[in-house]
Amino acid sequence: MEKIAAAVRERAKRALATGEVDRVFAWKRGEFWYDVTPAVFETADETDELLWDSFCVANLSKYLTGAVRQGFKVGVFVKGCDALAFNQLLQDNRISRENVRLFGLPCPGMVDPEKLKKAKRYRGVRAVARAGDVLALQGKHGEQQVEAPAYLYDKCLVCRHPNPVVYDELLAEPQPVRTPDSDRFALVNELEAMSAEEKFLFWQEQFDKCIRCNACRNICPACSCEKCIFDNGESGVAAKANADSCEEQFFHLIRAYHVAGRCVDCGECSRVCPAGIPLHLLNRKIIKDIQAIYGDYEAGLDPNVPAPLATYRLDDADPFDGHQKGGKK
Amino acid sequence: MKKIAKDRLPELLQKMAEAGKVYAPVNKGGKTNFSVWQPGDAADLTTLRSAVPAKSVLFPQSETYLRFAQQGKKLSIETVGGEADEYVLFGVRACDAKSFALLDKVFLSEPVDQFYASRRELGTVVAVACREPEDACFCRAFDIAADAPAGADVCVWDTGDDLFWLVQTEKGERLTARLAGLLEDAGAADDAALPALQAQIRAQLDELPLAALVAEKKHQALKQLFDDEQWLACSESCLGCGTCTYVCPTCHCYDIQDYDTGTGTERSRCWDSCMFSDFTQMAHGNPRKTQKERFRQRFMHKLVYYPNNYNEIACVGCGRCLEACPVNMNIVKVMKKIGGEAR
Amino acid sequence: MSCSCSTHKRDPLVPQVAVIDAMRVDTPDVTTFRVKKPAGGQAFSFMPGQCAMLSVPPVGEAIFSITSSPTEKEYMEFSIKRCGAVTDHLHALEAGTEIGIRGPYGNAFPVETALKGQDLLFIAGGIGLAPLRSVINYVLANRDQYGKVDIVYGARSASDLVHRQDLFETWPAAPATQVHLTIDRAEENWAGHVGFVPQFVKELGFSLDKTVLVCGPPIMIKFVLQGLEEIGFRRDQVYTTLELKMKCGVGKCGRCNIGDKYVCKDGPVFRCDELEALPDEY
Repeated sequence: MEKIAAAVRERAKRALATGEVDRVFAWKRGEFWYDVTPAVFETADETDELLWDSFCVANLSKYLTGAVRQGFKVGVFVKGCDALAFNQLLQDNRISRENVRLFGLPCPGMVDPEKLKKAKRYRGVRAVARAGDVLALQGKHGEQQVEAPAYLYDKCLVCRHPNPVVYDELLAEPQPVRTPDSDRFALVNELEAMSAEEKFLFWQEQFDKCIRCNACRNICPACSCEKCIFDNGESGVAAKANADSCEEQFFHLIRAYHVAGRCVDCGECSRVCPAGIPLHLLNRKIIKDIQAIYGDYEAGLDPNVPAPLATYRLDDADPFDGHQKGGKK
Repeated sequence: MKKIAKDRLPELLQKMAEAGKVYAPVNKGGKTNFSVWQPGDAADLTTLRSAVPAKSVLFPQSETYLRFAQQGKKLSIETVGGEADEYVLFGVRACDAKSFALLDKVFLSEPVDQFYASRRELGTVVAVACREPEDACFCRAFDIAADAPAGADVCVWDTGDDLFWLVQTEKGERLTARLAGLLEDAGAADDAALPALQAQIRAQLDELPLAALVAEKKHQALKQLFDDEQWLACSESCLGCGTCTYVCPTCHCYDIQDYDTGTGTERSRCWDSCMFSDFTQMAHGNPRKTQKERFRQRFMHKLVYYPNNYNEIACVGCGRCLEACPVNMNIVKVMKKIGGEAR
Repeated sequence: MSCSCSTHKRDPLVPQVAVIDAMRVDTPDVTTFRVKKPAGGQAFSFMPGQCAMLSVPPVGEAIFSITSSPTEKEYMEFSIKRCGAVTDHLHALEAGTEIGIRGPYGNAFPVETALKGQDLLFIAGGIGLAPLRSVINYVLANRDQYGKVDIVYGARSASDLVHRQDLFETWPAAPATQVHLTIDRAEENWAGHVGFVPQFVKELGFSLDKTVLVCGPPIMIKFVLQGLEEIGFRRDQVYTTLELKMKCGVGKCGRCNIGDKYVCKDGPVFRCDELEALPDEY
């Protein structure tokens, strides 16, 4: 991974030095081993701080909405999930393909520091090196090697597109897909098997933890409204005070439906949730249903393929008629 | 000093709960937070940081405090809510305990916030020393002793087998008296073990990645810091969510909202975030138009405005924002960038 | 407040009941509300420049400057422009309706100290006359303690001038008091001055020993301050009153700060040299 990191730095440096782009969106080294921040690089000199390692999990595509609007030529590094997000933003007319140079990065899956912490692999670590699926945890008292898959984010373990689906140039060899696509629906299947009451209790316990910080919404590449209805004081639904215990449920369910058919299943909503709510399961359930009702469609795969929920065809399935709850025929 | 075997903690909590509510860190749905302890709940003394800080007990995220009733043109106003009975807040860490002192400066200054004041008065705070500080911790930059929490009524140390119990205040004395049947006197060996345990904690603090961080008030003039050109670069990655503010034990901004219940009106106050675009939105405009201004406000408040008004930085180094920010932008990075590169 | 239990000491956020005694439509979008305690009298004592938080459930609360003078003991007045949810709701109420009120909030114009004995120049635009009217009437009620009074006031059109009775009858008739009116654009039946307030102030050419009190839309305040400086006024001779979004009114909710000052507590009245030390974020 270090070799690729050097190539990434080199490519960003060249793009800025030659004027190929005005700005590069990439990841920057932070205060300690898992502390990586998205950053904008404007000069070639700054790119020494640019980073590609196992903690570059944050999606950079959404940052383009501002920069592209301001008329900059931008370069951006995209992992597989970031590329899906990029395509979705294109399809939603939030960014344009011109003026963007896409540097593709096949992704081996990102490491969840929380999992290292839980496995007591965390103490004293100062740096994490990676070769394939072996993580070398380097600390004051030497190095220990662990298998990466045990410590990857859940979303990375069921990743179906580790390799960018769109790019101008690819900076590394493609990565294999870890699991069959069906695996990502395992938890959805479990939820579907619950009774209505069990489902309600499950989600109630989860939504009760919500602190309405909006992290899920603000990280989401499908949540790109200029002004969210929940930020509009005059909408009557902006309530930050949970006068009713169902306020959080409204928020998350409305959001899930608003991104229905546009969610690229990048899993960022669940990753960033400080309350640990598995929000992606709502979206995955909808993705599963869309696939069941309208056939194979994957948001973000190709911006030129019409989205089923945004297209009307006479032979469309009528889920209220031909399907029962859960999309079963 | 007193002590109790660690496996008898449920009995201890049960005994406390007989006299009133006990708030304790309990894992629910995968996250540990302070909630009212119920028999059968396992108090989580392993997780260092509750997802939501302990300030939520003194200053709830959302609390209804007024009820209006309208009949024709007549209006009546009734105060509701608040805490009426004594309670115990068990298991806060040194950083959270310190945050109470910082919140006090705001809420207990004139005119006193009565809802906060009564919760502060009625609560007995039991703090737990941090046995294993984590990489994002930097409380020591604020002279907070994770090995000997200050500002609590009782201090507890987890030795692995036992909980050492050291009374700090009269309130703590009263709580201890109520638990007399359970707490036993510590012996000479225990008295000797405590300093050793504390030294061991301090040794761990020395090893933390942010151990050398110096948090001192910036010397530059307010306007110079406000105009620092680094604000743009620092804020560019900010998503504008409120995670950092809601997980911060010292953030205290709130909103006030009316809710039409159908039969009357309830007025609540709830946490708010200066990171949100509508925070300062007025009918005729917004003085903070972009995320840069909102981001700057949050950190200027912590590092400059609050210190100007209350002589202390409004941060306790708990590390929650370092862990929770979706893009890992945080106060440490800001402290180092603004006002010149710091140590 | 109905609660008398010992756990509920009166919190600063808890309003008391007041009644809208009368409403006077001043302009198409400004109405002046006369508010008093149900038993009569001011809801609380205050000084000119201070504000009150008015509650109209279920819409909410908003802060308004008190436009009557504290010397008017029977009631308090608020001149309120329709510009949002709370103000829309207030305008739709009828006289006799009870509302919530809490305050007073903020500092006040230094009527008992720095302004004493001074020649005073009031400069207001639009609804910005509201807080200054409290000072003007206070000064006129204690006429012998202050010097000459000049009032420069402008609005978009003649029909947007608020407090017409004061402007055209009461104030011009007061001793050593002059009123200078202007409207933005010429219109029929207006024989007075036409033009913007900042320019009008320059044209009027006041002597530089006056103490100035300014209030109006932010853009007007900005240009008036610039103009005064050009003429030769020092910043420490000029006071203004600011408005930002507020919720608590007591310097805690963290919404109305400019730098380390809270408009609700340390303001709303600022001497302009004090403002210079603060960030330009208002």
